[in-house]
Amino acid sequence: MILINKNQRVIMTAQVAINKKKKRLGRKAVGIRLERKKDASLLNWNLKRPHLPEKIHISIPAFARPCIQIGEMVQTGQKIAEPQRPEGVSVHAGMPGTIEKITVFSNAAGAETRVIEICRYEEPKPLSFPETRKEWEQIPAEELLRIFQHSGLVTTDPFMEPVHARLGRHAGARTVIINACEPEPYITCEQVLTTSHPVEILKGAELLKKAMSAERILFAFEDCNLEMIELIKSKIYFLKWEHAEVRTVPALYPQGLESTLLQAWFEGEEEKAVVFPASTAFAVYEAVAQQKPFYERVVTVGGECVVEPRSLWLPVGISFHDAIHACKGVMREPRKILMGGPMAGTAQTTTEVSVTAGTNAILALPKEVVKEEAVSIPINRSVAEIGTAQTAILEKKQKVWAEEPCIRCNLCVDHCPVSLSPVMITLAAERKEFSAAEEWGVTNCIECGSCAYVCPSKRPMLKLIRLARVSSKPVVARG
Amino acid sequence: MAEEALFYKTALPPHIHSADSLARRYWGQLIALAPLFVAACFAGHAEVLRVLSICLVSAIAFEWLAAKLFRKKESLQNGETVLAAALFSLLMPSGCPSEIVILGIFTAVFVAKELFGGTGSYLLHPLLLARVFLQLCFPKVMSEPMLLAGSGSVWTLAGVGLGGIILLKQKQGYWETAPLFMSVCLVCEALSGGREMPYAFFSGILLTSFFLLADPVTMPLTRKGTVLFVLGAALLSFQLGGEGFSIYSASCAILSMNLLTPWLDVWLKPVPYKTKYRFKATYPA
Repeated sequence: MILINKNQRVIMTAQVAINKKKKRLGRKAVGIRLERKKDASLLNWNLKRPHLPEKIHISIPAFARPCIQIGEMVQTGQKIAEPQRPEGVSVHAGMPGTIEKITVFSNAAGAETRVIEICRYEEPKPLSFPETRKEWEQIPAEELLRIFQHSGLVTTDPFMEPVHARLGRHAGARTVIINACEPEPYITCEQVLTTSHPVEILKGAELLKKAMSAERILFAFEDCNLEMIELIKSKIYFLKWEHAEVRTVPALYPQGLESTLLQAWFEGEEEKAVVFPASTAFAVYEAVAQQKPFYERVVTVGGECVVEPRSLWLPVGISFHDAIHACKGVMREPRKILMGGPMAGTAQTTTEVSVTAGTNAILALPKEVVKEEAVSIPINRSVAEIGTAQTAILEKKQKVWAEEPCIRCNLCVDHCPVSLSPVMITLAAERKEFSAAEEWGVTNCIECGSCAYVCPSKRPMLKLIRLARVSSKPVVARG
Repeated sequence: MAEEALFYKTALPPHIHSADSLARRYWGQLIALAPLFVAACFAGHAEVLRVLSICLVSAIAFEWLAAKLFRKKESLQNGETVLAAALFSLLMPSGCPSEIVILGIFTAVFVAKELFGGTGSYLLHPLLLARVFLQLCFPKVMSEPMLLAGSGSVWTLAGVGLGGIILLKQKQGYWETAPLFMSVCLVCEALSGGREMPYAFFSGILLTSFFLLADPVTMPLTRKGTVLFVLGAALLSFQLGGEGFSIYSASCAILSMNLLTPWLDVWLKPVPYKTKYRFKATYPA
């Protein structure tokens, strides 16, 4: 007879409940069970703020214009760019310093954007926030939207959409989904923030619900995060909220992404719900209750090469180099520096790029993990030249990499979360039959990279899918 | 670090990949075939080693020749050619002349595979096509494979069974393929009155279901399609055989179903989840 202790029994009971809920949800979840590799960054639970760097580069988003002069001194949280249109959002300084210049800088996504460079002018002082806003829970919805816009609130996902703009785009949605899932390996920023500030996130979710006159809130967690699930459930019980519910998704990639959540819970009725990351809910709470504009976010700095992997507060605009340095640097030379996770993140050619609102992780991965041929880029090149070099590398990579023909093993079809046939799409793209690729549903691809991960022939699936998508017809991003 | 940073590698996501590879698959199937050769030796068919050596040498030679003629990289390192040679040697009958074996390998490797585009491009299973071609050309020589000669033996059955278990353990294809084929064959055999050679019969079914239906290139692209393919192959194996199941009838059945594969792919194509919104998991580039 197998003896189990009380804790194991509690966990088993919770798991049984989750399995029942999964059955009730109906559709079978498709995904890959990746090695999570989150333990290293979870060893340091306290969310510290590093020493401020010498300079930061803050991107100026679309529909915003700088409202400061070169040489002007700014304080932490001070507005440095103003929205020019209703869908624009203000920008705030992430540290005290002098406005050095307004220039063009290559961002982590590879595009060139206008940035404001702030140089630190004195030793940093402890942060002083304004007092808690009085009766913040009574603020009407219209006023909330104005606060969101002028606090510089953007979503903390890769799209970095202004929160008030997303709320406006989903006007009429009855459900707010707060997403705390992190299906990619290494990334723990949402988990650490949710565990550290559960009540603040609940209050932020309530503010979002109020701002869009929704009826209920769903909290999405991965089923393996039992502690976090219980914590949020207990807080909901404590607050006596009837309109909030905790739901789980299997800990599979890409389950837990915005698109898969809406498919799983609102298939065919995506307009009835709007998804926000948990860290956005926290930023909303801080902006409304604490009067703190958005100028910093929690980022996971990790990977096997980082000395002390952890999640920490980083000001928007800090360079990857300074962020890694805040975690005591690297213990060995990384092969790849990524913004985001290893499945969907963007590889960087330099660590001089800056953290943005959408940067959830900075990963330094060794050659054993990425397992690809080394290709170097000449140093001291301009941004444009580096861009050209990137293209050359992508072309060269196709020759260097041991790519083999497709053997129609079906793994990509079986692992596609949106039920496509990536093999047919990519074979059509290889033969430049883009209309055929469109017939096989290339426009429904969410580019999660699952097909490329499982492919035994190591074919460049995502590259071919993007080629087919671009060549078939122009796609209007996100509706 | 700033200057060193400019040497980092860039590429499209995903930045990690599964450990699966073609070499791993082909060498894995070869490991699963090893018990069959051991069983053949125990069952008194050591001749299979002679056929194997002829197959190996000729297959490598034809692969090299095709690579030179068509100016492409030969697929010797990933084990595909070795696997084809090993599996083809198991399909050869006892006392088969070397010239016929070489002709069979030429048909399989050079004609059926390389002339149709090489790995992943052929429509019909090359080994089975070569086996059927030899059977039609030399009907007196091409009897049942030596593993299934006579009434078979318990060694053969054990060897094929063990190989099948190893293959199942590797999870290379759908797990239901082999059980489905076996169960349909057994039902058909039971309905037709059964036979007196249980070892040879069961070994033949196991060999077909585990090893001849293990080539994904010629099979449908969906799970449903694969199930239909296997059902059709099992039923046709009995219908085409006349006297019940045999390796020849199974080969003809699988080749017939191969012709239906493109149609099955289109007919049972997965229905994508359509949404009004366009999402991307990757970072905007």
